[in-house]
Amino acid sequence: MKIRRKKKVLGEIPTSSTSDIAFLLLVFFLTTTKFDVKQGLGLVLPPPSQESAKRVRLQEDNIVRVLVNRDGRVALDEEELSYHELENRIRVMVRENPDLVISLRTDRQSRYRYMVEALDRLRSAGAEKISLSTN
Amino acid sequence: MAKIQGKTKPSTAIPNASMSDIAFLLLIFFMVSTVFVKERGLKVILPQGKSIEKIPRKTATTIYVDRSGVISIDDFMVEIPMVRDIMIRKLYDDFNTIASFRSDRDTDYGTMSDILNQLREANALRVSFEAKMKR
Repeated sequence: MKIRRKKKVLGEIPTSSTSDIAFLLLVFFLTTTKFDVKQGLGLVLPPPSQESAKRVRLQEDNIVRVLVNRDGRVALDEEELSYHELENRIRVMVRENPDLVISLRTDRQSRYRYMVEALDRLRSAGAEKISLSTN
Repeated sequence: MAKIQGKTKPSTAIPNASMSDIAFLLLIFFMVSTVFVKERGLKVILPQGKSIEKIPRKTATTIYVDRSGVISIDDFMVEIPMVRDIMIRKLYDDFNTIASFRSDRDTDYGTMSDILNQLREANALRVSFEAKMKR
């Protein structure tokens, strides 16, 4: 009787799908990578006070004063109101007078977030001319 | 009679055996060449805002101010009177520099106001207050 030799099975790893795996990894990292984008509220400060010759006198009607105290309470021309009301009131005022300058006066002992909140509300209301000051 | 042999069509298959090599090469190239900005800064919790805009990272100089009033620029702890000179140097290097505040939401506004005055003296008038998008 003829004895058949056992055929040696070649141990091969299938490599046809490695490109799929590589592209899958590439696409995964491309879509999930999140870059830290800087975002914030932009503002242009007035030039230093030495240039007083360039100072422009504003008409009283064109200035509105927003005050933020140390507790974060806000007032518009000495009338206390909420941040939401402030936004609505400023929106109306800016629409009526586009040259309106808003003076945002924040207490030195107030927290930074209250000033940012007020500035954000003013920006949302469409105010362009904002000046910052403190006591 | 001689048998006319039909022309054998050349095979038009694109070899794709090396596709995975290309994909992995791309993956490794981007992994090796990507450089992340390594600025340690200070630990801060940013305030939130709605009307925030993107700040160009290339022209921004980040000023970190933590809740206890510690100031850091380019990973150096600085005192308030030093800010003016640093910003003058920054402006000399790049005229379009934007001072970007990355301040803790509970920082005293007094500290912020003093830094803003330093920026005005240095003529660095473009500022930005970094904030997170309010959801």
